[in-house]
Amino acid sequence: MFETIVNSPMFGLSLCVGVYLLSKWIQRKTKWAIANPVLLGAAFVIAVLSIFKLDYEQFNIGAKVINWMLGPVTALLALGIYNQRKILKEYFIPVVVGCLAGAATSIFSILGLCRLFEVDKAVAAAMVPKSCTTPIAIAIAEAHGGVAAIAATCVAVAGITGVVCAPLFAKWFSIKDPVAQGLATGACSHALGTTKAREMGELQGAMSSIAIGICGMISVVISLFITV
Amino acid sequence: MAILKQLCFVFAICLVAEAISSVLPFTLPASVIGIILLLVLLAVKAVKPKDLKEVSDFLLDNMALFFIPVVSSMIQYKDVLFANFWAIVLICLLTTPLVFFVTGHVVQLTVKLLRRKEKKDV
Repeated sequence: MFETIVNSPMFGLSLCVGVYLLSKWIQRKTKWAIANPVLLGAAFVIAVLSIFKLDYEQFNIGAKVINWMLGPVTALLALGIYNQRKILKEYFIPVVVGCLAGAATSIFSILGLCRLFEVDKAVAAAMVPKSCTTPIAIAIAEAHGGVAAIAATCVAVAGITGVVCAPLFAKWFSIKDPVAQGLATGACSHALGTTKAREMGELQGAMSSIAIGICGMISVVISLFITV
Repeated sequence: MAILKQLCFVFAICLVAEAISSVLPFTLPASVIGIILLLVLLAVKAVKPKDLKEVSDFLLDNMALFFIPVVSSMIQYKDVLFANFWAIVLICLLTTPLVFFVTGHVVQLTVKLLRRKEKKDV
């Protein structure tokens, strides 16, 4: 019976959705930034696979169906960009200049540090897009032969850093302009940071939200011209 | 039915995006082409955001679910993760504040210059 269960597509599907619901519940209850549903969910899956000595492939029979939905989820990011066209027009120059600066700083500082620390190529390619929103980061990482799991994990870590530290960074670096605060938060910590930016103020939230899409697209363009 | 139509539409966009990605002379990921395609369709008003409401609300609200399979595959890459662990941690700790610092100051400077220009124009 055990064999039937773990080799059924329903095993991966129910485990994946189950750990997601559990992680969301833990996040709601604790309200900790570190209780991130992506990291927590994956930790639960890895724990179950390790305890029952199962292969990732057995989980993936079902989980790959959920993974197939990544394309559609990514395409729908267009809605976020489109819905912000009004405020984007209003703040066009600061948004484009800020996102260019943010995306370029992120990509080239990571590339440089990866060379300095002699990080493996598969890891370096995964880290390069870590300031982007997860679906775009996975796409960029895979295009350069990076490990998607490491890419998505680093993205989540960057996001959590933003949630915890964005107001502190603003204070330490004396970033007082609300437009600058929002764009900086969005540029370094994407959608997760945006939740914090919304607490800092309405304009900060809107700017951070715009930075997710614009930084993502700019990073895609820059990544076309780099070799890891 | 409405939901199935929306799903079918989004699936079709992704399929077309994959086709485009396969013939492009450079590696632009299919999912990114999907964003561009949908953005173009929205811009020319071939689709309205409300035409995709149910599916987009569901998928975007539960976005984290769709990353769990990818991140769980870390179990296959734990050797490469542990071999580079401290470099990864250090790079994460250094670059996030750096990006905040540079973006924040560049935007502050841009806003200041724009204001000065506005005053001159007036």
